[in-house]
Amino acid sequence: MPIRFEKVSHVYSDGTPFRYVALEDVDLEIREGAFTAVIGQTGSGKSTLVQHLNALLLPSSGTVYVMDRQIIAGTEPKKLKSLRKDVGLVFQFPEYQLFEETVLKDVAFGPKNFGASPEEANKLAREALRKTGLDETFEERSPLELSGGQKRRVAIAGILAMKPKVLVLDEPTAGLDPAGAKKMMELFASLHKEGTTVIMVTHDMEQVFRYCEEVIVMENGKPKIQTDIKTFFRDSSLCRELNILPPALIRMKDALREKGYTVSDDTVDIKTLAKEIARQVKSHG
Amino acid sequence: MDNITLGRYIPLDSPVHRLDPRAKIGAMLLMLIAIFIPAGWIGYAIIFAVVTFMVFLSKLSFTYIWKSMKPMLFMLVFLLIINVLVVHTGTVWLELGPIKVYSDAVIQTLYIVVRLLLMIMITTCLTATTKPLDMTLGIEDLLQPFEKIGVPSHEIAMLISIALRFIPDLIDETGRIMKAQESRGVDLKEGKLNEKIMAILSLIVPLFVSAFQRAEDLANAMEARGYQPGVRRTRYKVLKLKGPDYLLLAGAVLVLACMIWLAYFK
Ligand SMILES: Nc1ncnc2c1ncn2[C@@H]1O[C@H](COP(=O)(O)OP(=O)(O)O)[C@@H](O)[C@H]1O
Ligand SMILES: [Mg+2]
Repeated sequence: MPIRFEKVSHVYSDGTPFRYVALEDVDLEIREGAFTAVIGQTGSGKSTLVQHLNALLLPSSGTVYVMDRQIIAGTEPKKLKSLRKDVGLVFQFPEYQLFEETVLKDVAFGPKNFGASPEEANKLAREALRKTGLDETFEERSPLELSGGQKRRVAIAGILAMKPKVLVLDEPTAGLDPAGAKKMMELFASLHKEGTTVIMVTHDMEQVFRYCEEVIVMENGKPKIQTDIKTFFRDSSLCRELNILPPALIRMKDALREKGYTVSDDTVDIKTLAKEIARQVKSHG
Repeated sequence: MDNITLGRYIPLDSPVHRLDPRAKIGAMLLMLIAIFIPAGWIGYAIIFAVVTFMVFLSKLSFTYIWKSMKPMLFMLVFLLIINVLVVHTGTVWLELGPIKVYSDAVIQTLYIVVRLLLMIMITTCLTATTKPLDMTLGIEDLLQPFEKIGVPSHEIAMLISIALRFIPDLIDETGRIMKAQESRGVDLKEGKLNEKIMAILSLIVPLFVSAFQRAEDLANAMEARGYQPGVRRTRYKVLKLKGPDYLLLAGAVLVLACMIWLAYFK
Protein backbone atom coordinates (compact mmCIF):
# COMPACT_ATOMS: atom_id res chain seq x y z
CA MET A 1 0.00 0.00 0.00
CA PRO A 2 1.45 3.39 -0.88
CA ILE A 3 2.02 6.09 1.72
CA ARG A 4 -0.31 8.99 1.17
CA PHE A 5 -0.55 12.54 2.49
CA GLU A 6 -3.91 14.16 2.00
CA LYS A 7 -4.15 17.91 2.59
CA VAL A 8 -1.70 17.63 5.47
CA SER A 9 -0.73 20.80 7.29
CA HIS A 10 1.51 21.07 10.31
CA VAL A 11 1.62 24.13 12.52
CA TYR A 12 4.26 24.43 15.25
CA SER A 13 3.49 26.26 18.51
CA ASP A 14 -0.03 27.07 17.42
CA GLY A 15 -1.68 29.78 19.47
CA THR A 16 1.58 31.38 20.60
CA PRO A 17 3.51 34.24 19.05
CA PHE A 18 5.91 31.57 17.72
CA ARG A 19 3.24 29.97 15.53
CA TYR A 20 4.85 28.58 12.40
CA VAL A 21 3.25 26.78 9.49
CA ALA A 22 5.84 24.19 8.53
CA LEU A 23 3.66 22.13 6.16
CA GLU A 24 0.79 23.53 4.18
CA ASP A 25 -1.81 21.40 2.42
CA VAL A 26 0.62 18.69 1.41
CA ASP A 27 -0.69 16.10 -1.04
CA LEU A 28 1.77 13.31 -1.76
CA GLU A 29 1.99 9.70 -2.67
CA ILE A 30 5.03 7.54 -2.00
CA ARG A 31 5.15 4.20 -3.77
CA GLU A 32 5.61 1.07 -1.68
CA GLY A 33 9.03 -0.46 -2.19
CA ALA A 34 10.49 2.65 -3.80
CA PHE A 35 13.66 4.49 -2.82
CA THR A 36 12.43 8.06 -2.52
CA ALA A 37 14.57 11.14 -1.96
CA VAL A 38 13.22 14.20 -0.19
CA ILE A 39 15.23 17.28 -1.06
CA GLY A 40 14.84 21.01 -0.54
CA GLN A 41 16.45 23.89 1.27
CA THR A 42 16.99 23.96 5.01
CA GLY A 43 13.75 24.95 6.70
CA SER A 44 11.59 23.79 3.79
CA GLY A 45 9.83 21.25 6.00
CA LYS A 46 11.59 17.99 5.10
CA SER A 47 12.13 16.81 8.65
CA THR A 48 8.62 17.86 9.61
CA LEU A 49 7.26 15.89 6.68
CA VAL A 50 9.06 12.66 7.44
CA GLN A 51 8.24 12.76 11.15
CA HIS A 52 4.60 12.31 10.20
CA LEU A 53 5.40 8.88 8.80
CA ASN A 54 5.65 7.22 12.20
CA ALA A 55 3.30 9.64 13.94
CA LEU A 56 5.97 11.41 15.93
CA LEU A 57 4.27 14.50 14.66
CA LEU A 58 0.55 14.48 14.07
CA PRO A 59 -1.00 16.56 11.32
CA SER A 60 -2.66 19.79 12.40
CA SER A 61 -5.12 19.11 9.63
CA GLY A 62 -5.45 16.45 6.94
CA THR A 63 -4.72 12.73 6.95
CA VAL A 64 -1.64 10.57 6.53
CA TYR A 65 -2.09 6.99 5.30
CA VAL A 66 0.81 4.70 6.21
CA MET A 67 0.70 0.93 5.78
CA ASP A 68 -2.86 0.06 6.75
CA ARG A 69 -3.21 2.91 9.20
CA GLN A 70 -4.70 6.35 9.07
CA ILE A 71 -3.33 9.22 11.04
CA ILE A 72 -6.09 11.78 11.15
CA ALA A 73 -5.70 15.28 12.53
CA GLY A 74 -7.26 15.66 15.94
CA THR A 75 -7.57 11.97 16.77
CA GLU A 76 -5.28 9.86 18.89
CA PRO A 77 -3.63 7.43 16.45
CA LYS A 78 -4.36 3.76 17.03
CA LYS A 79 -1.81 0.97 17.09
CA LEU A 80 0.90 3.56 17.51
CA LYS A 81 3.49 1.13 18.78
CA SER A 82 3.19 -1.28 15.89
CA LEU A 83 3.35 1.65 13.49
CA ARG A 84 6.64 2.75 15.06
CA LYS A 85 7.97 -0.77 14.64
CA ASP A 86 6.97 -0.93 10.99
CA VAL A 87 8.22 2.53 10.15
CA GLY A 88 11.80 2.94 11.37
CA LEU A 89 12.89 6.55 11.56
CA VAL A 90 16.55 7.50 11.75
CA PHE A 91 16.93 11.06 12.94
CA GLN A 92 19.43 13.58 11.79
CA PHE A 93 22.56 13.04 13.92
CA PRO A 94 21.10 9.91 15.51
CA GLU A 95 24.26 9.33 17.54
CA TYR A 96 22.74 11.56 20.23
CA GLN A 97 20.19 8.91 21.11
CA LEU A 98 22.70 6.34 22.40
CA PHE A 99 22.48 5.74 26.12
CA GLU A 100 23.08 2.11 27.05
CA GLU A 101 26.24 0.74 28.65
CA THR A 102 27.16 -1.40 25.68
CA VAL A 103 26.67 -1.18 21.95
CA LEU A 104 24.81 -4.49 21.85
CA LYS A 105 22.38 -3.42 24.58
CA ASP A 106 21.72 -0.14 22.86
CA VAL A 107 20.92 -1.76 19.54
CA ALA A 108 18.73 -4.36 21.25
CA PHE A 109 16.78 -1.61 23.01
CA GLY A 110 14.35 -1.11 20.12
CA PRO A 111 13.43 -4.76 19.57
CA LYS A 112 12.99 -5.20 23.33
CA ASN A 113 10.58 -2.29 23.46
CA PHE A 114 8.58 -3.95 20.74
CA GLY A 115 8.26 -7.12 22.73
CA ALA A 116 11.18 -9.29 21.59
CA SER A 117 12.66 -11.61 24.21
CA PRO A 118 16.21 -10.76 25.35
CA GLU A 119 17.72 -13.58 23.23
CA GLU A 120 15.72 -12.58 20.18
CA ALA A 121 16.60 -8.94 20.69
CA ASN A 122 20.31 -9.75 20.96
CA LYS A 123 20.12 -11.85 17.82
CA LEU A 124 18.42 -9.05 15.91
CA ALA A 125 20.93 -6.58 17.32
CA ARG A 126 23.90 -8.69 16.18
CA GLU A 127 22.42 -9.04 12.71
CA ALA A 128 21.85 -5.29 12.47
CA LEU A 129 25.36 -4.54 13.68
CA ARG A 130 26.89 -6.84 11.05
CA LYS A 131 24.84 -5.09 8.38
CA THR A 132 26.20 -1.73 9.41
CA GLY A 133 29.70 -3.16 9.35
CA LEU A 134 30.46 -3.37 13.05
CA ASP A 135 31.95 -6.72 14.11
CA GLU A 136 31.63 -8.49 17.46
CA THR A 137 34.56 -6.59 18.99
CA PHE A 138 32.23 -3.60 19.22
CA GLU A 139 29.43 -5.37 21.02
CA GLU A 140 30.68 -4.94 24.56
CA ARG A 141 32.11 -1.46 24.16
CA SER A 142 30.42 1.66 25.46
CA PRO A 143 28.69 3.51 22.64
CA LEU A 144 29.85 6.79 24.11
CA GLU A 145 33.53 6.06 23.49
CA LEU A 146 33.18 5.36 19.77
CA SER A 147 34.07 7.75 16.96
CA GLY A 148 31.34 9.86 15.39
CA GLY A 149 30.98 7.61 12.36
CA GLN A 150 30.85 4.47 14.47
CA LYS A 151 28.23 5.99 16.74
CA ARG A 152 26.16 6.83 13.70
CA ARG A 153 26.34 3.19 12.58
CA VAL A 154 25.31 1.94 16.01
CA ALA A 155 22.35 4.32 15.98
CA ILE A 156 21.26 3.17 12.54
CA ALA A 157 21.68 -0.44 13.59
CA GLY A 158 19.36 0.39 16.49
CA ILE A 159 16.62 1.13 13.98
CA LEU A 160 17.45 -1.70 11.57
CA ALA A 161 17.21 -4.19 14.44
CA MET A 162 13.49 -3.40 14.57
CA LYS A 163 13.18 -4.83 11.06
CA PRO A 164 11.09 -1.95 9.76
CA LYS A 165 9.17 -2.32 6.54
CA VAL A 166 9.55 1.37 5.83
CA LEU A 167 12.88 3.00 6.57
CA VAL A 168 12.90 6.78 6.92
CA LEU A 169 16.30 8.48 6.98
CA ASP A 170 16.80 12.13 7.82
CA GLU A 171 20.12 13.21 6.33
CA PRO A 172 21.78 9.94 7.29
CA THR A 173 25.19 10.75 5.83
CA ALA A 174 25.52 14.37 6.98
CA GLY A 175 28.93 14.85 8.50
CA LEU A 176 30.31 11.44 7.51
CA ASP A 177 33.52 10.99 5.54
CA PRO A 178 32.98 10.12 1.85
CA ALA A 179 33.97 6.47 2.26
CA GLY A 180 31.72 6.05 5.28
CA ALA A 181 28.87 7.78 3.48
CA LYS A 182 29.26 5.50 0.48
CA LYS A 183 29.15 2.38 2.66
CA MET A 184 26.07 3.69 4.37
CA MET A 185 24.32 4.37 1.07
CA GLU A 186 25.21 0.91 -0.16
CA LEU A 187 23.58 -0.54 2.94
CA PHE A 188 20.39 1.39 2.30
CA ALA A 189 20.42 0.34 -1.34
CA SER A 190 20.71 -3.32 -0.34
CA LEU A 191 17.84 -2.98 2.13
CA HIS A 192 15.83 -1.41 -0.64
CA LYS A 193 16.63 -4.37 -2.89
CA GLU A 194 15.37 -6.69 -0.18
CA GLY A 195 12.00 -4.93 -0.40
CA THR A 196 12.18 -2.17 2.20
CA THR A 197 10.53 1.11 1.28
CA VAL A 198 13.21 3.74 1.81
CA ILE A 199 12.56 7.45 2.20
CA MET A 200 15.65 9.58 2.57
CA VAL A 201 16.12 13.28 3.22
CA THR A 202 19.36 14.44 1.67
CA HIS A 203 21.24 17.38 0.21
CA ASP A 204 23.57 15.24 -1.87
CA MET A 205 22.46 15.16 -5.51
CA GLU A 206 25.02 12.49 -6.37
CA GLN A 207 23.29 10.17 -3.88
CA VAL A 208 19.88 11.02 -5.26
CA PHE A 209 21.06 10.35 -8.78
CA ARG A 210 22.83 7.13 -7.99
CA TYR A 211 20.54 5.40 -5.51
CA CYS A 212 17.05 6.87 -5.57
CA GLU A 213 14.09 6.22 -7.85
CA GLU A 214 11.74 9.05 -6.98
CA VAL A 215 12.30 12.64 -5.87
CA ILE A 216 10.17 14.97 -3.81
CA VAL A 217 11.30 18.58 -3.80
CA MET A 218 10.06 20.54 -0.80
CA GLU A 219 9.78 24.31 -0.87
CA ASN A 220 8.24 26.47 1.86
CA GLY A 221 6.32 23.60 3.38
CA LYS A 222 4.92 22.30 0.10
CA PRO A 223 6.06 19.62 -2.29
CA LYS A 224 7.04 21.63 -5.32
CA ILE A 225 7.93 18.71 -7.55
CA GLN A 226 7.32 15.00 -7.29
CA THR A 227 8.68 12.88 -10.06
CA ASP A 228 10.94 9.96 -10.93
CA ILE A 229 14.69 10.31 -11.15
CA LYS A 230 14.83 9.96 -14.91
CA THR A 231 12.52 12.89 -15.50
CA PHE A 232 14.17 14.91 -12.79
CA PHE A 233 17.66 14.51 -14.22
CA ARG A 234 16.71 14.44 -17.92
CA ASP A 235 18.83 17.51 -18.25
CA SER A 236 20.06 20.07 -15.79
CA SER A 237 17.28 22.60 -16.43
CA LEU A 238 15.12 21.48 -13.51
CA CYS A 239 18.07 21.52 -11.16
CA ARG A 240 19.10 24.98 -12.30
CA GLU A 241 15.57 26.21 -11.85
CA LEU A 242 15.68 24.93 -8.27
CA ASN A 243 19.15 26.34 -7.69
CA ILE A 244 20.67 22.91 -7.15
CA LEU A 245 24.02 21.84 -8.50
CA PRO A 246 23.21 18.87 -10.77
CA PRO A 247 25.19 15.62 -10.47
CA ALA A 248 28.54 15.59 -12.23
CA LEU A 249 27.35 13.22 -14.97
CA ILE A 250 24.43 15.47 -15.86
CA ARG A 251 26.71 18.48 -16.00
CA MET A 252 29.04 16.46 -18.23
CA LYS A 253 26.16 15.57 -20.54
CA ASP A 254 25.14 19.20 -20.72
CA ALA A 255 28.65 20.28 -21.60
CA LEU A 256 28.84 17.61 -24.30
CA ARG A 257 25.53 18.70 -25.78
CA GLU A 258 26.80 22.24 -25.89
CA LYS A 259 29.77 21.02 -27.91
CA GLY A 260 27.37 19.47 -30.42
CA TYR A 261 27.34 15.83 -29.35
CA THR A 262 24.06 13.99 -29.11
CA VAL A 263 23.61 12.32 -25.74
CA SER A 264 20.67 10.12 -24.85
CA ASP A 265 18.51 11.15 -21.92
CA ASP A 266 18.61 7.57 -20.69
CA THR A 267 22.34 7.45 -20.19
CA VAL A 268 22.93 7.34 -16.46
CA ASP A 269 26.42 5.94 -16.09
CA ILE A 270 29.80 7.12 -17.15
CA LYS A 271 30.74 3.99 -19.15
CA THR A 272 27.72 4.15 -21.46
CA LEU A 273 28.31 7.84 -21.90
CA ALA A 274 31.95 7.24 -22.81
CA LYS A 275 30.96 4.64 -25.40
CA GLU A 276 28.34 6.95 -26.88
CA ILE A 277 30.86 9.74 -27.28
CA ALA A 278 33.55 7.41 -28.61
CA ARG A 279 31.18 6.25 -31.32
CA GLN A 280 30.44 9.80 -32.38
CA VAL A 281 34.08 10.85 -32.32
CA LYS A 282 35.01 7.87 -34.53
CA SER A 283 32.24 8.40 -37.08
CA HIS A 284 33.20 12.06 -37.45
CA GLY A 285 36.81 11.04 -37.94
CA MET B 1 7.71 20.65 24.26
CA ASP B 2 6.61 23.27 21.76
CA ASN B 3 4.31 24.92 24.19
CA ILE B 4 6.64 26.02 26.91
CA THR B 5 6.01 29.72 27.00
CA LEU B 6 6.96 30.49 30.57
CA GLY B 7 9.94 32.80 30.75
CA ARG B 8 10.50 33.32 27.05
CA TYR B 9 11.37 36.64 25.50
CA ILE B 10 8.76 37.89 23.05
CA PRO B 11 10.26 40.30 20.56
CA LEU B 12 7.77 43.15 20.27
CA ASP B 13 8.13 46.88 20.19
CA SER B 14 6.43 48.41 23.18
CA PRO B 15 7.16 51.05 25.83
CA VAL B 16 7.73 48.23 28.33
CA HIS B 17 10.26 46.55 26.05
CA ARG B 18 12.22 49.79 25.88
CA LEU B 19 12.49 50.24 29.65
CA ASP B 20 15.82 49.83 31.38
CA PRO B 21 16.24 46.24 32.62
CA ARG B 22 17.42 47.45 36.02
CA ALA B 23 14.26 49.48 36.48
CA LYS B 24 12.17 46.49 35.41
CA ILE B 25 13.95 44.09 37.74
CA GLY B 26 13.71 46.59 40.60
CA ALA B 27 10.03 47.19 39.98
CA MET B 28 9.39 43.47 39.76
CA LEU B 29 11.05 42.87 43.13
CA LEU B 30 9.00 45.65 44.71
CA MET B 31 5.79 44.26 43.25
CA LEU B 32 6.62 40.74 44.43
CA ILE B 33 7.13 42.05 47.93
CA ALA B 34 3.84 43.93 47.63
CA ILE B 35 2.03 40.69 46.82
CA PHE B 36 3.12 39.15 50.08
CA ILE B 37 1.87 41.97 52.22
CA PRO B 38 -1.50 40.93 53.63
CA ALA B 39 -3.46 43.85 52.27
CA GLY B 40 -6.66 41.92 51.60
CA TRP B 41 -8.74 41.80 48.50
CA ILE B 42 -8.64 45.55 47.88
CA GLY B 43 -4.87 45.32 47.78
CA TYR B 44 -4.94 42.48 45.29
CA ALA B 45 -7.43 44.36 43.18
CA ILE B 46 -5.05 47.32 43.01
CA ILE B 47 -2.06 45.15 42.12
CA PHE B 48 -4.10 43.30 39.55
CA ALA B 49 -5.19 46.56 37.93
CA VAL B 50 -1.62 47.85 37.80
CA VAL B 51 -0.24 44.62 36.38
CA THR B 52 -3.01 44.34 33.81
CA PHE B 53 -2.17 47.85 32.72
CA MET B 54 1.50 46.82 32.34
CA VAL B 55 0.57 43.76 30.29
CA PHE B 56 -1.59 45.98 28.13
CA LEU B 57 1.28 48.46 27.66
CA SER B 58 3.71 45.68 26.79
CA LYS B 59 1.43 44.54 23.92
CA LEU B 60 1.62 40.94 25.15
CA SER B 61 -1.60 39.15 24.41
CA PHE B 62 -3.62 37.98 27.37
CA THR B 63 -4.04 34.56 25.78
CA TYR B 64 -0.27 34.28 25.90
CA ILE B 65 -0.23 35.06 29.62
CA TRP B 66 -3.02 32.58 30.12
CA LYS B 67 -1.02 29.93 28.28
CA SER B 68 2.00 30.42 30.47
CA MET B 69 -0.20 29.90 33.53
CA LYS B 70 -1.80 26.71 32.31
CA PRO B 71 0.94 24.41 33.64
CA MET B 72 0.11 25.75 37.11
CA LEU B 73 -3.53 24.71 36.94
CA PHE B 74 -2.80 21.16 37.95
CA MET B 75 -0.86 22.37 40.95
CA LEU B 76 -3.72 24.61 41.98
CA VAL B 77 -6.26 21.83 41.86
CA PHE B 78 -3.92 19.76 43.96
CA LEU B 79 -3.61 22.62 46.44
CA LEU B 80 -7.35 22.98 46.70
CA ILE B 81 -7.74 19.30 47.50
CA ILE B 82 -5.07 19.44 50.18
CA ASN B 83 -6.56 22.55 51.71
CA VAL B 84 -10.04 21.05 51.75
CA LEU B 85 -8.71 18.00 53.54
CA VAL B 86 -6.54 19.86 56.02
CA VAL B 87 -8.25 23.15 56.86
CA HIS B 88 -11.17 22.75 59.20
CA THR B 89 -11.92 26.30 60.32
CA GLY B 90 -14.61 28.77 59.37
CA THR B 91 -18.09 27.73 58.38
CA VAL B 92 -19.02 24.62 56.46
CA TRP B 93 -19.92 25.60 52.92
CA LEU B 94 -20.43 22.24 51.32
CA GLU B 95 -20.79 18.65 52.39
CA LEU B 96 -19.70 15.94 49.99
CA GLY B 97 -20.45 12.75 51.84
CA PRO B 98 -17.81 12.42 54.57
CA ILE B 99 -15.88 15.47 53.33
CA LYS B 100 -16.80 18.87 54.67
CA VAL B 101 -15.60 21.89 52.76
CA TYR B 102 -14.89 24.78 55.08
CA SER B 103 -14.95 28.41 54.03
CA ASP B 104 -11.36 29.01 55.12
CA ALA B 105 -10.10 26.20 52.93
CA VAL B 106 -11.60 27.82 49.86
CA ILE B 107 -10.56 31.32 50.82
CA GLN B 108 -6.98 30.28 51.57
CA THR B 109 -6.74 28.48 48.27
CA LEU B 110 -8.12 31.52 46.51
CA TYR B 111 -5.46 33.67 48.16
CA ILE B 112 -2.75 31.36 46.90
CA VAL B 113 -4.27 31.25 43.45
CA VAL B 114 -4.43 35.01 43.22
CA ARG B 115 -0.89 35.42 44.50
CA LEU B 116 0.47 32.88 42.05
CA LEU B 117 -1.46 34.43 39.22
CA LEU B 118 -0.10 37.87 40.02
CA MET B 119 3.43 36.54 40.43
CA ILE B 120 3.31 34.88 37.06
CA MET B 121 1.89 37.97 35.43
CA ILE B 122 4.58 40.15 36.95
CA THR B 123 7.49 37.89 36.11
CA THR B 124 6.16 37.35 32.61
CA CYS B 125 5.98 41.11 32.20
CA LEU B 126 9.71 41.14 32.91
CA THR B 127 10.96 38.06 31.09
CA ALA B 128 8.79 38.47 28.01
CA THR B 129 9.84 42.06 27.46
CA THR B 130 13.54 41.90 28.35
CA LYS B 131 16.16 40.29 26.16
CA PRO B 132 18.15 37.70 28.13
CA LEU B 133 21.30 39.66 27.48
CA ASP B 134 19.81 42.89 28.81
CA MET B 135 18.53 41.00 31.79
CA THR B 136 22.02 39.83 32.71
CA LEU B 137 23.44 43.29 32.20
CA GLY B 138 20.78 44.54 34.58
CA ILE B 139 21.53 41.83 37.14
CA GLU B 140 25.23 42.52 36.91
CA ASP B 141 24.69 46.20 37.56
CA LEU B 142 22.33 45.58 40.42
CA LEU B 143 24.85 43.22 42.03
CA GLN B 144 27.72 45.67 41.58
CA PRO B 145 27.37 47.25 45.05
CA PHE B 146 27.81 43.82 46.62
CA GLU B 147 31.18 43.32 44.97
CA LYS B 148 32.82 44.98 47.96
CA ILE B 149 31.72 42.13 50.17
CA GLY B 150 33.09 39.60 47.71
CA VAL B 151 30.11 38.90 45.47
CA PRO B 152 31.49 38.15 41.98
CA SER B 153 28.79 40.11 40.15
CA HIS B 154 30.22 39.66 36.67
CA GLU B 155 30.65 35.92 37.08
CA ILE B 156 27.15 35.53 38.45
CA ALA B 157 25.75 37.51 35.54
CA MET B 158 27.78 35.41 33.11
CA LEU B 159 26.49 32.22 34.72
CA ILE B 160 22.91 33.41 34.48
CA SER B 161 23.26 34.50 30.90
CA ILE B 162 24.80 31.17 29.90
CA ALA B 163 22.06 29.28 31.69
CA LEU B 164 19.39 31.40 30.01
CA ARG B 165 21.11 31.00 26.69
CA PHE B 166 20.98 27.22 26.95
CA ILE B 167 17.43 26.75 28.20
CA PRO B 168 15.79 26.86 24.75
CA ASP B 169 18.55 24.67 23.32
CA LEU B 170 18.10 22.06 26.02
CA ILE B 171 14.34 22.12 25.59
CA ASP B 172 14.79 21.54 21.85
CA GLU B 173 17.32 18.82 22.54
CA THR B 174 14.97 17.10 24.99
CA GLY B 175 12.26 17.13 22.34
CA ARG B 176 14.61 15.69 19.78
CA ILE B 177 15.87 12.89 22.00
CA MET B 178 12.34 12.10 23.11
CA LYS B 179 11.27 11.70 19.51
CA ALA B 180 14.30 9.60 18.68
CA GLN B 181 13.58 7.23 21.57
CA GLU B 182 9.88 7.14 20.78
CA SER B 183 10.89 5.97 17.33
CA ARG B 184 12.59 3.06 19.08
CA GLY B 185 9.39 2.12 20.84
CA VAL B 186 9.79 4.04 24.08
CA ASP B 187 6.45 4.91 25.54
CA LEU B 188 6.79 7.77 27.99
CA LYS B 189 3.16 7.69 29.00
CA GLU B 190 2.35 4.05 29.57
CA GLY B 191 4.20 0.93 30.58
CA LYS B 192 5.31 -0.90 33.69
CA LEU B 193 7.53 0.69 36.28
CA ASN B 194 10.78 -0.82 35.00
CA GLU B 195 9.86 0.19 31.46
CA LYS B 196 9.21 3.71 32.68
CA ILE B 197 12.58 3.81 34.40
CA MET B 198 14.24 2.65 31.18
CA ALA B 199 12.32 5.29 29.25
CA ILE B 200 13.50 8.04 31.55
CA LEU B 201 17.09 6.77 31.45
CA SER B 202 17.00 6.73 27.67
CA LEU B 203 16.12 10.40 27.85
CA ILE B 204 18.38 11.59 30.66
CA VAL B 205 21.63 9.93 29.63
CA PRO B 206 21.77 11.42 26.13
CA LEU B 207 20.63 14.76 27.51
CA PHE B 208 23.50 14.83 30.00
CA VAL B 209 25.98 13.71 27.38
CA SER B 210 24.92 16.47 25.07
CA ALA B 211 24.79 19.09 27.82
CA PHE B 212 28.37 18.28 28.84
CA GLN B 213 29.42 18.32 25.22
CA ARG B 214 27.87 21.76 24.77
CA ALA B 215 29.48 23.03 27.95
CA GLU B 216 32.87 21.86 26.77
CA ASP B 217 32.39 23.38 23.33
CA LEU B 218 31.38 26.67 24.85
CA ALA B 219 34.29 26.68 27.29
CA ASN B 220 36.70 26.01 24.44
CA ALA B 221 35.15 28.70 22.29
CA MET B 222 35.37 31.22 25.13
CA GLU B 223 38.95 30.37 25.91
CA ALA B 224 39.90 30.50 22.24
CA ARG B 225 38.63 34.05 22.21
CA GLY B 226 40.65 34.97 25.26
CA TYR B 227 37.96 35.05 27.90
CA GLN B 228 39.35 35.40 31.39
CA PRO B 229 37.16 35.56 34.43
CA GLY B 230 37.77 38.32 36.90
CA VAL B 231 39.19 40.78 34.39
CA ARG B 232 37.66 44.24 34.30
CA ARG B 233 35.95 44.72 30.96
CA THR B 234 34.25 47.60 29.28
CA ARG B 235 30.81 47.41 27.84
CA TYR B 236 29.42 48.04 24.44
CA LYS B 237 26.00 48.82 25.77
CA VAL B 238 25.80 51.29 28.61
CA LEU B 239 22.56 51.32 30.54
CA LYS B 240 21.10 54.66 31.49
CA LEU B 241 17.93 55.31 33.43
CA LYS B 242 15.49 57.65 31.68
CA GLY B 243 12.21 59.32 32.53
CA PRO B 244 9.91 56.30 32.04
CA ASP B 245 12.25 54.14 34.12
CA TYR B 246 11.92 56.49 37.08
CA LEU B 247 8.18 56.56 36.51
CA LEU B 248 8.03 52.76 36.66
CA LEU B 249 10.06 52.61 39.86
CA ALA B 250 8.00 55.37 41.42
CA GLY B 251 4.83 53.50 40.47
CA ALA B 252 6.11 50.28 42.04
CA VAL B 253 7.11 52.12 45.23
CA LEU B 254 3.68 53.69 45.34
CA VAL B 255 1.96 50.32 45.03
CA LEU B 256 4.14 48.90 47.78
CA ALA B 257 3.43 51.88 50.04
CA CYS B 258 -0.25 51.50 49.31
CA MET B 259 -0.18 47.84 50.36
CA ILE B 260 1.69 48.63 53.56
CA TRP B 261 -0.83 51.32 54.41
CA LEU B 262 -3.76 49.00 53.67
CA ALA B 263 -2.27 46.23 55.78
CA TYR B 264 -0.94 48.04 58.81
CA PHE B 265 -2.20 51.61 59.10
CA LYS B 266 -5.77 51.61 57.96
N1 LIG C 1 9.71 22.30 17.17
C1 LIG C 1 9.58 23.35 16.35
N2 LIG C 1 8.95 24.48 16.77
C2 LIG C 1 8.80 25.53 15.96
N3 LIG C 1 9.23 25.58 14.71
C3 LIG C 1 9.87 24.51 14.22
C4 LIG C 1 10.08 23.34 15.01
N4 LIG C 1 10.74 22.42 14.26
C5 LIG C 1 10.93 23.00 13.06
N5 LIG C 1 10.41 24.25 13.03
C6 LIG C 1 10.42 25.17 11.89
O1 LIG C 1 9.75 24.56 10.81
C7 LIG C 1 10.44 24.80 9.60
C8 LIG C 1 10.71 23.50 8.90
O2 LIG C 1 11.62 22.77 9.66
P1 LIG C 1 12.19 21.38 9.21
O3 LIG C 1 11.06 20.48 8.89
O4 LIG C 1 13.14 20.93 10.27
O5 LIG C 1 12.98 21.77 7.88
P2 LIG C 1 14.12 20.98 7.11
O6 LIG C 1 14.26 19.62 7.68
O7 LIG C 1 13.67 21.00 5.68
O8 LIG C 1 15.36 21.79 7.28
C9 LIG C 1 11.69 25.56 9.96
O9 LIG C 1 11.51 26.91 9.62
C10 LIG C 1 11.84 25.40 11.43
O10 LIG C 1 12.37 26.56 12.01
MG1 LIG D 1 15.87 18.70 8.67
